[in-house]
Amino acid sequence: MAGEARGLSLRQFKAILHKDIVMELRTKEMITSMGLYALLTMVIYQVALSQSGTAFDPRNIAAGLLWLAFVFTSMLGLNRSLVHEKDQGCLEALLLSPVDRPVIFFAKAIGNLIFLLIVQVLTIPVFAFLFLQQGSYAGEWWMIPLALLAGAIGISGVGTLLATMSVNTKGKDFVLTVLFVPLMYPLLLAAVSATSAAVLGGDGSVQQFWTGMGMMAGFDAIMLLASFALYEFIVGA
Amino acid sequence: MNRNILVLSMLVLGGVLTTVGFIMAFFFTPPVLGPAVTNEVGRILGYQPLFSQKIFYFHVPVALSSFLVFFFTAFYGVRFLMTKEKQYDTRAKIATEVTLMFVILTMATGILWTRFEWGRWWVWEPRLTTYFIMTLLVIAYFVLRNSIEDEERRATYAAVFGIIAFIDAPISFAITRIIPSSVHPVVLRSGGGLTGSQLAAFLIGLFGMLMIAYAIFHTRMREELVHDRLEAVKAALEG
Repeated sequence: MAGEARGLSLRQFKAILHKDIVMELRTKEMITSMGLYALLTMVIYQVALSQSGTAFDPRNIAAGLLWLAFVFTSMLGLNRSLVHEKDQGCLEALLLSPVDRPVIFFAKAIGNLIFLLIVQVLTIPVFAFLFLQQGSYAGEWWMIPLALLAGAIGISGVGTLLATMSVNTKGKDFVLTVLFVPLMYPLLLAAVSATSAAVLGGDGSVQQFWTGMGMMAGFDAIMLLASFALYEFIVGA
Repeated sequence: MNRNILVLSMLVLGGVLTTVGFIMAFFFTPPVLGPAVTNEVGRILGYQPLFSQKIFYFHVPVALSSFLVFFFTAFYGVRFLMTKEKQYDTRAKIATEVTLMFVILTMATGILWTRFEWGRWWVWEPRLTTYFIMTLLVIAYFVLRNSIEDEERRATYAAVFGIIAFIDAPISFAITRIIPSSVHPVVLRSGGGLTGSQLAAFLIGLFGMLMIAYAIFHTRMREELVHDRLEAVKAALEG
């Protein structure tokens, strides 16, 4: 019986995730808007750095710039992914169907994670092409994907909970920003530290990287557990 | 009626205790010796009594109180989610209001101290950063409340956010400490133990603050109850 229920949950999970991915493949809306947003952020960076002089090496702040782009694009994506559900009455239909609430949470969070990871993978080469051509990449290459993944897990997990709240408020995306940024602060700090160690390399960078990764893992574990436990109340309200 | 007397006496006692703690801090506690530093970074010339340290007897009790009261936001949030009773939502809301007051006091005194000791109004130092984030979280709590009209939904969302924010605050504190910031060197003075009179002044201040917090909490609670009764009476008269 328990095994059967687990099988059912897995099928439901796959169905919701499948729906999100199929919708994305048909409309290409999330990736286009998030990718374009990330690209436009690069233009803003160019303006911001335009007076910094030739001695300034953008590599020193590369990790911060990257995560800044990811924060903004992920807020855009999170908001969209839940606005779709709400505007088309899909969330209500999901709630009426006999699907466990945690299954909805995980399916939406994994969907958001996938989109965010795709955007990250697309953004990084563009960023490197635009800003990091002088000077070589000094760190270990495998550090980058690990740091990106750990950060993205936290962002999409807690973000899914917050976005589900914010789509039901009057302020929508504004409310999401106000809730999202301070809650994500510790994760972003650790993510930038780890990514920075990966980009810059040098003495102690391996240790700095693993410290950051440990912090992110702790944040992800605690906050995901909390979001998972509290999601039921949010979708039910 | 008993509750009212208790609240009133707590308020008076809290006022007296914080005042006593304040006076003790200035007149009865020995000064703390701090390093006398030159403008060159980190060169310690010798030690001098630190007058600015007196703010410790106000700043730290307020900071501790803010954390303690914030705990009640999360606690009543959990109670609300368990029972769905409106009173717990009101309690959580008021606890957050009191938290906001204490957090703002903490920020203000912290910034004064930073200006005096480190010569700058603002430094991204772990404790300041954490408090800044906590202020934002508390403000976000009210932004969230104000943007929802449905009463039960507002209560549920606020409860969930209160719990998440309370979990986030200590994580933020830990991470800002552990992740080294390369931008500003962190100046942390290793705190030696407190002497008897210092500890006494500190504890008296702390208990005073907590009593004031309790009194404000219950006064606001009564105000809300009276407000609810008024609304009920209005509705009855109109209907």
